[in-house]
Amino acid sequence: MAVIAHDPSLPTQTHAEVTRDVVRTITDKPTTGYYILAGTMAFLVLVLLGTFTAILKYGLGLAGYSPPIMWSVYITTFVFWIGIGHAGTLISAILYLFRSRWRTAVYRSTEAMTVFAVMTAGLFPIIHIGRQWIFYWLIPYPNQRFLWPNFKSPLMWDVFAISTYLTVSSTFLVIGLVPDIAAVRDHVSGWKKKIYSALSLGWTGADSQWRHYSRAYLYLAALATPLVLSVHSVVSWDFAMSIVPGWHGTIFAPYFVAGAIYSGIGMVLTLVIPLRKVLKIEHMITSYHFDNLAKLTLFTGSILFYAYGMEYFIAWYSGSTFEQTTFWRRAFGPNWWAGWSMIICNAFVSQLLWFKKIRRNLTALFVISIFINIGMWFERWVIISMSLTNDYVPYAWGQINPTWADWGILAGSFGWFGLWFTLFYKNFPIVAIQEIKELIPMPRRSHGGGH
Amino acid sequence: MAARHVPGVLAQFDHVDGACDAIRELKATGYKDLTVYTAAANHEIEAAIGDPISPVRLFTLFGGIIGCAAGFGTTIWMSRDWPLIVGGKSVAAIPAFVAIGFELTILVGSLSTVAGIIILSMRKSLKGRPYSPRFSDDRIGVFVPCGADRAAQVERVLVQHGSVEVVRDA
Amino acid sequence: MADEAETQGVDRRQFLKVIGVSGAGAAVLSGCTTERVAKLVPYMVQSEDQVPGVPTWYASTCAECSSGCGVYVKTREGRPIKLEGNPDHPTNAGSLCSRGQAGLQSLYNPDRIKGPMARNAKGEFDLIKWDDAIARLAAKLSSAGGKVAAINGYGASTFSTFLADYVTALGGTTVAYEPFGREAERTANDRTWGKAELASYDFGAARHIVSFGADFLETWGPVVEQQRGFAASHGFHDGTMARMVFVGPRMSLTAANADEWLNVPAGSEALVALAMAQVVASRKGSPLAASLASYTPDAVAKDTGLTAAQITALAEAFAAASPSLAIAGGIPAQHRGAIELCQAVNLLNEAAGNIGRTVLFGTTVGGSDGYASMVSLFDKMGQGSVQVVLVHDANPLYAMPKDGKFAAAFAKVPFKVSTAAIIDETAAQCDLILPSLHALERWDDLHTRAGVTGLMQPVVQPVFQGMHFGDVLLKAAKTIAGPVAKFNDASFEARLKSAWQKVAAEQKAGDFDEFWRMALGRGGLFAPMAPAPQFPASKGAVSYTKPTFDGTGDYVFLPYPSSMYHDGRGTNKPWLLENPDPITKITWQSWVEMHPDTAAKIDVREGEIVELHSPHGMIRSQVYIYAGIRPDTMAMPLGLGHTAYGRYAKDRGVNALDLLGAADGQGFLPYVSTRVSVTRTEDYRKVARVDGMPRQLGRGIVQSMALMYAAKGMTPEEAYKAGGRAPVEENTELEQKAIEGWHDAQLENTKVGNYTGDHPKWGMAVDLSRCTGCSACVTACYAENNIPTVGEEQVFRRREMSWLRIERYWEGGEANEPLGVRFAPVMCQHCNNAPCEPVCPVYASYHTVDGLNGQVYNRCVGTRYCSNNCPFKVRYFNWLKYNDVAWPEPLNLQLNPDVTVRARGVMEKCTFCVQRIRAVQNTARIEGRDFKDGEIMTACAQACPSGAISFGNINDPAAKVVQWKKDPRGYVMLEGTNVQSSVTYLAKVLHDAPVAGRGES
Repeated sequence: MAVIAHDPSLPTQTHAEVTRDVVRTITDKPTTGYYILAGTMAFLVLVLLGTFTAILKYGLGLAGYSPPIMWSVYITTFVFWIGIGHAGTLISAILYLFRSRWRTAVYRSTEAMTVFAVMTAGLFPIIHIGRQWIFYWLIPYPNQRFLWPNFKSPLMWDVFAISTYLTVSSTFLVIGLVPDIAAVRDHVSGWKKKIYSALSLGWTGADSQWRHYSRAYLYLAALATPLVLSVHSVVSWDFAMSIVPGWHGTIFAPYFVAGAIYSGIGMVLTLVIPLRKVLKIEHMITSYHFDNLAKLTLFTGSILFYAYGMEYFIAWYSGSTFEQTTFWRRAFGPNWWAGWSMIICNAFVSQLLWFKKIRRNLTALFVISIFINIGMWFERWVIISMSLTNDYVPYAWGQINPTWADWGILAGSFGWFGLWFTLFYKNFPIVAIQEIKELIPMPRRSHGGGH
Repeated sequence: MAARHVPGVLAQFDHVDGACDAIRELKATGYKDLTVYTAAANHEIEAAIGDPISPVRLFTLFGGIIGCAAGFGTTIWMSRDWPLIVGGKSVAAIPAFVAIGFELTILVGSLSTVAGIIILSMRKSLKGRPYSPRFSDDRIGVFVPCGADRAAQVERVLVQHGSVEVVRDA
Repeated sequence: MADEAETQGVDRRQFLKVIGVSGAGAAVLSGCTTERVAKLVPYMVQSEDQVPGVPTWYASTCAECSSGCGVYVKTREGRPIKLEGNPDHPTNAGSLCSRGQAGLQSLYNPDRIKGPMARNAKGEFDLIKWDDAIARLAAKLSSAGGKVAAINGYGASTFSTFLADYVTALGGTTVAYEPFGREAERTANDRTWGKAELASYDFGAARHIVSFGADFLETWGPVVEQQRGFAASHGFHDGTMARMVFVGPRMSLTAANADEWLNVPAGSEALVALAMAQVVASRKGSPLAASLASYTPDAVAKDTGLTAAQITALAEAFAAASPSLAIAGGIPAQHRGAIELCQAVNLLNEAAGNIGRTVLFGTTVGGSDGYASMVSLFDKMGQGSVQVVLVHDANPLYAMPKDGKFAAAFAKVPFKVSTAAIIDETAAQCDLILPSLHALERWDDLHTRAGVTGLMQPVVQPVFQGMHFGDVLLKAAKTIAGPVAKFNDASFEARLKSAWQKVAAEQKAGDFDEFWRMALGRGGLFAPMAPAPQFPASKGAVSYTKPTFDGTGDYVFLPYPSSMYHDGRGTNKPWLLENPDPITKITWQSWVEMHPDTAAKIDVREGEIVELHSPHGMIRSQVYIYAGIRPDTMAMPLGLGHTAYGRYAKDRGVNALDLLGAADGQGFLPYVSTRVSVTRTEDYRKVARVDGMPRQLGRGIVQSMALMYAAKGMTPEEAYKAGGRAPVEENTELEQKAIEGWHDAQLENTKVGNYTGDHPKWGMAVDLSRCTGCSACVTACYAENNIPTVGEEQVFRRREMSWLRIERYWEGGEANEPLGVRFAPVMCQHCNNAPCEPVCPVYASYHTVDGLNGQVYNRCVGTRYCSNNCPFKVRYFNWLKYNDVAWPEPLNLQLNPDVTVRARGVMEKCTFCVQRIRAVQNTARIEGRDFKDGEIMTACAQACPSGAISFGNINDPAAKVVQWKKDPRGYVMLEGTNVQSSVTYLAKVLHDAPVAGRGES
């Protein structure tokens, strides 16, 4: 232990301390601050419900839709949340396969974030369609009219990709949680014990359980890895498969995946930097971990930088006046501000992370992460809505001004996400107890370091 | 643990190497049906127990294959079931169905893996075997089912390998 | 009928009666229906031969303006649901303008009053019974002591004669009144030839047309007929086309269709005409030359802003073309020099030898007594020498400037009666309102031209409790007796028939009943036009004096009649309000047009509300910046700014007449006679425009080519190259190779299920050299397909539902280059590789076996992906239950039962009028034959006065549409997208070079 104590990727506590520190985050009495936070989120959820009810009653026209912009704030926010949902599985699956140890400290929180983000995103396809009450027609269920959905439509691919992703990422979260819930179970009493016992599915940590568990986790990771990459590719094909100038790009899949991970890590930083303070687990999630997250951000941010540049290059190189007009207007058209906020917030701001000082400075990271969130929302807004303002037939060009109904749903979606996350981190181990313990060598009688 | 009581000896270890030695010796002396509790997966202990690799991967494999088949099968069949031309494309446009085939492979694959964990873990019932909350914390637990007659011998082995606490549970 | 007086709209009982009527009169026109039409007479007889679901057609006459076009009324279960042109009628020959088609919305207008109304002590209107109403009228008329006056806006007809006789018998006077009365032309013709009548013009024969401010494609004259003629002469055919030049300060829709627009200052048009006449006369050695000698091009050049060379060139081209045609008399040139202008044009026509060739006299009849007689009538009212005034089919208190204090004079009349079915400005001032019947509810006729009289027959039970004014007068006569006792017919229908007895006699018809039935079935009496053969030489020349303008403002104020609202009677019809103005593309609003330079000078942006001050008044309206107007002129459309006239018209926009003086110098209202000054308000109101980007950006949406290339049979592409212009966006060589035969390869894969076997394949072709942008097709589409109107607020968000829109693009107009305009009707292109289809997750959008791009409303969940992926953006989404608000009762009675009324949250679009296709196919199947080419017509093709749209089965090599598609001018929009659209556009053709240097080429 002493030998490797300086390796920052390894925890410094003993098993007992780990259990104690994590269980404490659950057993401590919630502060007033916590109730205020949860209350705010709950209020925003009411805003969401209220707005949606109004839309159901009067129609989508309440939102600022203005043809030819048929997709605007709702689809933008949908893609935004789906993107956020990509950090979790990346960290829990891909980095797991890469055996990168630093993931253990943050993966539970990111995984939770992932699941809730996808749950949020999942609302939007329903909110945004014209006849929300028959959204289930997109599901291939047997019916006496023998009407099946059209599997050639990228929207159908979406249905499958999103539902698969939601299932698999929740599976990941639950599987990882079971042993930790068992640990909590063994440290609480009374009605709580009953609940956690039920949730722990009779986990005892017996060899016969670990044997299948650790294997299965490996395969799940192996399956989830291509899934992460596929989901946002499919989402990007919603646009790339169309012929709308500004959508119809072959680089969309990697471009969107990079963007998704970028925005996901951004949101992780936004959430975890304050969280570790609130939960007093700074010693478990250290600046070392943020440094790694920041590097990941820098990497994906740079891919975005390249993609932005490439989009403009192709527009010029293709010689298609339609593409050229679209991209010219993106930078210098009536909505230039949106275009530039996307480029600045994503491509430029991420480049600050080349400096170790900034990567290790949590305040700086937090500020940057806010920029990333804003920038990534704008990226989707620009790509989706602004491309629609000017396509083939000039006579049909238009502009769009979102209304309260757009903002209500957007704000509400943050509430919906936030409420789930707030409830989660106070009731479940936000740091993966058993995985951290896996990293801590157990004491031995015969001293002499590891094995 | 209201269920049928399994008589035996439950020992707790602080040190992983001691626990492993104990497990090996007991196994050698014919106690095959041990139950070892750890708070986290641990390779040494796995090695000491020496069970073969979990067959859960078969669930993953077949799940994946079924998912893939289902993905392409349903899309193609449903498209042909009521042929409608869209965008001048052929009715069963395979390239378009790859996305769905792929997603279903993953979906069924991972769900069956989870099913794998549950089914396989349930194959060995732990009912009636004692357990201590410290196992989910920092101690390693070893339970040896045995009649009262042989308990003394088992206890000796466990203590000799540094068990910090031995309970004869008969 | 008290119960119905209370009920809103139409209750069940009334509806059943409605069924009854047409049940009785079920007649299918093709069968020429004699004995059936006769059955119309017994109204309430339920008939067995009414087949629900089968439309019944009646012939009738359009009374929306004085042109009196013939219409076919399509009724279903007793309800008129569509008006289409009567092919036999000489004026409109089967097509119909927007205003005519919108007649249905005055029939079913929700603001029609439910019965006769009288003003009570409190000064409010009460519904009363008809007997009571007629009694009151009779009492007042008999006690009026001859001091009776009638204002009659209805054209020459049995009724108008009857009304005049009736009033005369009472010792009163009748004034026939029409706001756009063309008085100046009459006077001018009188001065020139001693004939105070109007000419009709043969645009079809003219090879060179010069219009001096006469909007013959919008509101001046029988526009449908004139547009048909214009399309025939100016549309490209057999390698040639006529030339049209427009002279005036503003580019109207007519000017936009001209090859050259000479934007001379208001008032100087006459100089151009005179100078042209002078040149033409001297070239042709006409006797007129002498009297015109003083008006040489050089002499007039300065005042017109044109060069002598331009005028000479124009005149020579005019003289060279034979026959040519010059016209004047439109409202935009109705300034104080209007008579001289018309005289000058008369001389020009005479010098060019057009009289009797393109300018035909001895054909027009009746017409208005003119503004002067109205003014004197109102003077009499002001002096209190009128006891009773009857206002029929006219709204003078709106249509005459407030400056004239006419309302005050009118108020002096003790008893004022209006027959308005909707309370308009005039009716609102009356004491008794006797709602008259709509043209589709009554027996009537309309005499529009020598030998042409249209008949009207009731094709529907009166929607509300109206009564034909003729019947009212006859009933009243019984009470009044005395001088009017002689009007003792049983009903006006009887009187109409007896009047037609005489006609029958003139026609030497044997059996009257037979003659009458034939006339009804045909829609009236249509004798061919017989112009006067002999014609007197003109009397001397014109003495031109520069017209004066009231006020000292910097800008000449030019109010012009809107092609949708006409004199204001169209403003209560949502179809006309939502159908954008063809030039500005503004809906539901009024606006002030000013030149970009002017706007820059006074520093206003589009949408800023400005105040226009004239000596006679002030109005506030928002600015629309328009390069098609002189910098020293400001224009506004007429017809808006009603203070009454129903929910749609009231308080909508402002009335441009408020800036005009009512002073009548020369027998007409000089519309262009004030100067205005502008003050900014810095208030803004969004302009409800429906055009996004008004320039084509070289995308070849609406293509055009020079005449010389078209004549050589070049394609637009070749013409571009030949003309050294950049070709439009197209696929590169490689891309071409890549998609080579791709579509056919795909077709092989698509031969499955119902798609096997041979089906017809529907296609369309649009000739842009014929399309004038008049937008009649758009109204037809609204009427046929139950398209909801969404209103101004929704148009702000560009949510209009126009399945078919006329796209309007500017060409040039910047720096000093002439402004050009392009129009193209754009509907769903029914692509064979439709991008909208594969993206729909539920197959709501799919391809039918006969090549239509189907849209299944019931299946649509509203993802709107299809619209995003549609390169033409011709899919429309119902955002807010428009279907609930667009048709307040009884407007909903107009809905076409063959077309779904789309719900909220559903995508909808042009279907190529699939219901009309299926109807013909079914008939053909029942008759065991194949449908004939031309039998199937989309609503737009049917309505188009220019005949610019052709539709049919493109698998039938003989079909007209196939011939059109073979035309080398043909192109498909956005070919580069390889969507294989089914609509071919034939490029517009431009003259090689402008003669006066102010046109594009």
